[in-house]
Amino acid sequence: MADTAMSGQGRRVFFRQGTVLKTVVLALLIAMIVLPLLRTVLFTLQPDTIRAWSDVLTGRLSTNLFYKPLGNTLLIGVVVSTGCVLLGGFLAWLVVMTNVPFRKTIGVMATLPFMIPSFAAALAWGSLFRNDRVGGQVGWLQGMGLDIPDWLAWGIVPTLIVLTLHYFSLAFTIIAAALATVNSDLVEAAQIAGARGRRILMGIVLPVTTPALVAAGSLCFAGAVSNFATPALLGLPVRMQTLSTRLFGMIEVGQVGRGYVIGIMLVLISGAFLWAGNRVVSGRRSYTTITGKGGRAKRFDLRRARWPLFGVAMIILLSSTVVPVIVLTASSLAPSSANLFSDWTLHYWMGRSDPSFAQGIPGIAHNEDIVRALTITLGLGLAVSFSGMFIGLLASYTTARFREGWMSAAITQISFLPLLVPGIAFGAAYIAYLGAPIGPFPALYGTFALLVIAATAYLLPFSVQTGRAVIQQVGGELEESARITGASFAHRLAAITVPLAIRGLAAGGILIFVKIIRDLSLVVLLFTPTMPVLSVVAYRYASEGFGQFANAITVVILFISIAATLIASRLQTKSQPWLQN
Amino acid sequence: MLEIRNLTKRFGNVDAVRDVSISAPGGAFLVLLGPSGCGKTTLLRMLAGLELPSEGQIVFDGQTVSDGDRNWAVDPAKRNSGLVFQSYALWPHMSVRGNVDWPLKVMKMPKAARAERVDEVLKLLDIGQLAERYPNEISGGQQQRVAIARTIAPKPSVLLFDEPLSNLDAKLRVEMRTELMRLHRATGATTVYVTHDQIEAMTMATHVAVMNHGRVQQFGSPSDLVNHPKTAFVATFVGTPPNNMVPVVKNGSGYKVGGRHMPLTPPADDCMAMYRAEAMSLSESEGETTLAMELVETSAIAGRTMVTGLRDGLRLTAIVDAAPEAGIGDTIQFCLPPRPDSWFGPDGERIG
Repeated sequence: MADTAMSGQGRRVFFRQGTVLKTVVLALLIAMIVLPLLRTVLFTLQPDTIRAWSDVLTGRLSTNLFYKPLGNTLLIGVVVSTGCVLLGGFLAWLVVMTNVPFRKTIGVMATLPFMIPSFAAALAWGSLFRNDRVGGQVGWLQGMGLDIPDWLAWGIVPTLIVLTLHYFSLAFTIIAAALATVNSDLVEAAQIAGARGRRILMGIVLPVTTPALVAAGSLCFAGAVSNFATPALLGLPVRMQTLSTRLFGMIEVGQVGRGYVIGIMLVLISGAFLWAGNRVVSGRRSYTTITGKGGRAKRFDLRRARWPLFGVAMIILLSSTVVPVIVLTASSLAPSSANLFSDWTLHYWMGRSDPSFAQGIPGIAHNEDIVRALTITLGLGLAVSFSGMFIGLLASYTTARFREGWMSAAITQISFLPLLVPGIAFGAAYIAYLGAPIGPFPALYGTFALLVIAATAYLLPFSVQTGRAVIQQVGGELEESARITGASFAHRLAAITVPLAIRGLAAGGILIFVKIIRDLSLVVLLFTPTMPVLSVVAYRYASEGFGQFANAITVVILFISIAATLIASRLQTKSQPWLQN
Repeated sequence: MLEIRNLTKRFGNVDAVRDVSISAPGGAFLVLLGPSGCGKTTLLRMLAGLELPSEGQIVFDGQTVSDGDRNWAVDPAKRNSGLVFQSYALWPHMSVRGNVDWPLKVMKMPKAARAERVDEVLKLLDIGQLAERYPNEISGGQQQRVAIARTIAPKPSVLLFDEPLSNLDAKLRVEMRTELMRLHRATGATTVYVTHDQIEAMTMATHVAVMNHGRVQQFGSPSDLVNHPKTAFVATFVGTPPNNMVPVVKNGSGYKVGGRHMPLTPPADDCMAMYRAEAMSLSESEGETTLAMELVETSAIAGRTMVTGLRDGLRLTAIVDAAPEAGIGDTIQFCLPPRPDSWFGPDGERIG
């Protein structure tokens, strides 16, 4: 009886569930991520550009074109990632496992440097340490009468220091999160077995946190080797090249083929390190902690070292957060960076054009280019945070809801692909991809749309991850119970998923906004005078010697970034579980 | 011989454990039983040496191992005791063999002896075939066995368990219970076992300490607790099903029992009467000692029926031969026996 009653209600299933959705998402991701990269590779394989490979890798110029920059790049990667793991690990240990004073303050401050654009720190370094080697204004210390040697003012040493002080907060976040999951039972079990401090550290704590250390190291490595702003500002004036500055230079002078080849090599190097890092930690031993209510967390008593270690932590944190902000602000007010704290003027902020002052460039409030760049940058941030969260949510929903099948696996893999691609190489790929007309579609070079599409694609790993966290928060069962009531996909999304997820979505959107407005490496190649963005304008001013304007713009970016980040972290209260007791 | 003298533990101004004194002979199976938050895990952690007592002493085999009055304690590793954590605390980066082996290595046991001992305990717990697996590759019950193997490998004379079965499913729990008792006989180690499950306590223990709010309510053998509960808390916490506790209030010249006048002569004006579930019965009609209640549960137990009624927050359970015909939600009459089994004062102490 039941069968006859039901039969009229049945429906043939033409496609397997989710096939349509998966196809749409996969096509979107392929168009946004795979095709640009593929297009770049194909470009270099054309008959008239294939020579670029031999020029770069084996030709007469290869030492200068590739091998010297490669050496610098690897040196930066190794030193910066080691330094970051040491600094970040030290701070994470202090915050999570010891009774150092002001733990929470240290914890919050240690996450800030990553919110500050890396060119801000490089600019601040210049304002302090510049000497007269390349002409132009000297920095404050030289102005005070100290003789700053070249190695401290320019090149590899300042690049290493600035990048380490920038990326260590990434390492801190990862390691602190991992240390927080080390169940205190694990340590107590070792204590009962009779192991002492060193042995517990080497035998239990370090091995258990190895994956986090490796992950932190390889992410810092990938970040450091692809960073463009810092080596460009501190290295280029003395001809120190890295692969990313080389790539930029090649494309600037029109040697696009060679540029792309360098870009491809850069992708391979940072990809190889991330892959190797992943290989080291995957395998049979899973390091995830097994079950369990952890006992009362017992903190390691530092005794008399409490305040000295607090001092060390504060020196690191102040020099990576407060000092750059003070220096940049002061320098945007001081006519001469040699006298950072005297003759302050608001000219660089709101002065009218004056031929006797900075070659007649008006202050940033009256400078049409800068105001336009500000509008475009904010618009770009908003557009990308919406498009990024939309696609991120769609992709993570699809893979969470329909886990099986090669299509879901492909969606996951492709959405994380941009992680392996340095921003500047990604920008180059988008020029190759959308710089010329494709069929009926016009070339997008120099348009707002190009910036939005490229930035959305570039930040997809991040937005997919945020989307995934949001989906997990909402949980499959809540959504399924809505499905049983017969609500459509759009209806469920609007009535159940979005209301439940709105805080997470907003926080994710804001962080994407921050990431894009302080980004330089992606947009530096997509920049055109008709479509300026703040970070590139600042970079241009800095390289033309108008440090005050660059610093003033950077202060604006900093202010927006920090304000937005604070809002996001209020929305996302659970983002730092290791600070909770 | 395990002796605990006037032990107190304070966290800030909260007394987690208050003035506990217990002693159990060597080879005893001592269960610390109580609801969550009663201080039993804190007491166990003090026995393990992970927490220092605020006051009082702990003595293992005549040797003081913790002394809160002198702020002195023997290191957890040197008390000849072993602790099985509730979370198992298996080191995730070591194989099963590695987990069992590592404590022996820390003890500086020679390699050959170590391998032999590891094989021996793995065999004792019937997990020899899992030696090369990692903790994430084995089931919860197997992880539990590894945690126990790791703890007994160094041959501790005192074995401590922190709710070891609470993460297992019901069937496995019963199996592991038997297994733990077998192990207790095999090793002969004095065992202290923390649980909130009174059935575990009743089946496994030679000695039970029932704890509430940091105090030991009663210390004795399982049968003591059931037959002679010292406090109202013990009377209602121990036993399956738990005993019934009915408030008795003086009203004029007579007494109100569970809200009805009944011909009773309690030893005090305000007190509680305890009735065992097996002494209760059901009645068709209202009588002199009946209480009308809403039927909320019936369940078949070993050929008899357990019937639970509820009214105004008073919950009564009776074990009867035949299930009542009334349905859930109907009113039925619980019949109290003429005399209660015990009397308890308003402070919970037994008064008769």
